[in-house]
Amino acid sequence: MRTANLKEKISLHFEYGAAYLLALIWMLPLIYAFWSAFHPSEYATRFDLLAPLTLDNFREAWSQAPFARYFLNTFLLVSIILLAQFILCTLAAYAFARFEFPGKSIAFALVLIQLMIMPEVLIVENYVTMSQLNLVDSIVGIGLPYMASAFGIFLLRQTFKTIPKELEDAARVEGCSALQILWKVYVPLARPTYVAFGLVSVSYHWNNFLWPLVITNSVTTRPLTVGLAIFGAPESGVDWSIITAGTLLAVAPLLVAFLLFQRQFVQSFMHAGIK
Amino acid sequence: MLTTLKHKAGKLTIAAALGLGMASSASAVDLTMYYPVAVGGPLTKVVDGMVEDFEKANPDINVNAIYAGNYNDARIKALAALKSGEPAQTSVMFSIDIYELIEQGAIVPFDDVVETADEKAWLDGFYPALMENGKTRDKTWGIPFQRSTIVMYYNKDAFRAAGLDPEAPPATWDELVEAGKKLTKKNGDTVEQWGAMIPSTGYPYWMFGALAMQNGQTLMNSEGNETYFDAPATVEALQFWQDLGNKHGIMPTGTVEWATLRQNFLEGKTAMMWHSTGNLTAVKKDASFDFGVAMLPAQKRRGSPTGGGNFYIFEKSTPEERKAAMKLIRFLTEPERTAQWSIETGYLGTRPDAYSTAELTQYVQDFPPAAVARDQLEFATAELSTFQNGRVRKLLDDAIQSVLVGDKTAAEALGSAQKQADRLLKNYR
Repeated sequence: MRTANLKEKISLHFEYGAAYLLALIWMLPLIYAFWSAFHPSEYATRFDLLAPLTLDNFREAWSQAPFARYFLNTFLLVSIILLAQFILCTLAAYAFARFEFPGKSIAFALVLIQLMIMPEVLIVENYVTMSQLNLVDSIVGIGLPYMASAFGIFLLRQTFKTIPKELEDAARVEGCSALQILWKVYVPLARPTYVAFGLVSVSYHWNNFLWPLVITNSVTTRPLTVGLAIFGAPESGVDWSIITAGTLLAVAPLLVAFLLFQRQFVQSFMHAGIK
Repeated sequence: MLTTLKHKAGKLTIAAALGLGMASSASAVDLTMYYPVAVGGPLTKVVDGMVEDFEKANPDINVNAIYAGNYNDARIKALAALKSGEPAQTSVMFSIDIYELIEQGAIVPFDDVVETADEKAWLDGFYPALMENGKTRDKTWGIPFQRSTIVMYYNKDAFRAAGLDPEAPPATWDELVEAGKKLTKKNGDTVEQWGAMIPSTGYPYWMFGALAMQNGQTLMNSEGNETYFDAPATVEALQFWQDLGNKHGIMPTGTVEWATLRQNFLEGKTAMMWHSTGNLTAVKKDASFDFGVAMLPAQKRRGSPTGGGNFYIFEKSTPEERKAAMKLIRFLTEPERTAQWSIETGYLGTRPDAYSTAELTQYVQDFPPAAVARDQLEFATAELSTFQNGRVRKLLDDAIQSVLVGDKTAAEALGSAQKQADRLLKNYR
């Protein structure tokens, strides 16, 4: 009996140790970014506890592109996309989960196929479409191809399917219409899924680079990532201090939000089953 | 009803205003130009400033200069825009994209746009080595703009400490090895300072182009449909590169990271490095020691590939737009502006007459390293550029890296790269 206990303890310690190790490996790039962003560039790859601290890197990074405007653009972009995704995906998922209509399985298969196509393959086609819609160089133009998210539809459909039919029947007895049932029964119960999907969507579009670069032409539409790319300097090699400072500036809002709402996010992910 | 009327009225006024606006500047040409940024520093501001000057000098041409990421991004953006209805008329793109752009029918040769003798003289005014990547089939398709070449940076303090003459950097492969051995400092089994580092990630084919040229061998023909990866001199060059680490022990074995090499040099982890002239400004700014810049050493001869971006004019453009685009390109490559561009970015001055301007003469006098790259142009050759460029380049990159990490011998790796390149290029012969 005692040995079994001991064994359990050891394996528990082992698990914790492994978890901490993994966490450390995941965090290393971020830790490095903090290190080199706050030190002069001589110390970018040299570890010296007494190295002088500085904010010059942030000042220089900030001055190299109109980052204030880029922040606003990125914020508008992810908000517009998220709102549109919530509306479109909720309606589509509801239809797929609870209604019978001709061609339903074909339509759903088409949605699933969309999951398997890399968005980069469609850059040229999407550009042509945006150009026909007269949306080149607009924030809506960056977001439009992503609004009917197949991932969101799939995820919400699965969640809606797990909600007991009895709740819907009860609402119907009370005299709710189909849309009222959606709004009063399904949406509130799927909240964890919305939070989880929202997080995935926001972080993806916050970080998206190539498509926004291709479709935009001016400061008033370009997101943060495009501004950050000028630090890339593939030919001369990167100035690590400046690029990490710029990166920290760009990810700061997400990082702060995550730290504040960490508990909710983690619970939502467990609930929604996204890993 | 009233609101619709108002709406319509509003639309009419706007249309009228637009119509008037157009009428008043009927002769104005709108140009869209893409440009990539490949080196550090506030380059977008420099370009914007020069374009502004151009618009002031040419009020009838409006230029919309758009930053387009790195070279790859710029190509994707330009081709996407070309296939839609809203193309750019001119763009700076990687000089080695030339064959792909020709194959897609995306660009026009400058020979079709120049008319006057003055313009022809301008076209002939660039360094011939820089034109190699822009010329094929007897026509000029690309005008050199942000161009660089490989030079050797060396730490003069380290040279002094090792008892070497800091004003006589190695000029041959043998001298490189000899100096490298003296400069390699060991503390037990760990090396504190390497003799030399040649980067082998990022752009291995580019560095290798220098070694092959020094051994008297180019990597491809000017039609871009044949490679010489398995020529004996090419194999020897790769063998020498591997020997620097494995046999002579003056360079780390395995690969040397491109992106952190400058940092390593600045921290004294290597006494010499081969790197792009694009680094000159950054090294000058950050070096805490006395450093020098030298031409790359010679085996049979000196040699280095050129690199960087050229101006292209797109096929989807009206004759007026092409004229205006060429006016813009001419403006940006005038001697004074080339001098200014070179000083602010560290790129080469692309024309001999730029080096006779007062500014650049003064700059080179105050900072002699800036002249090394120019003087080396005499020995320079084109950067590896063929049809199916991306794939051919990858073949060579993989071959080089597999030899440096010790998976294959030079002859094996290059032989198989050549075979695969032949298969890719067969259709273009």
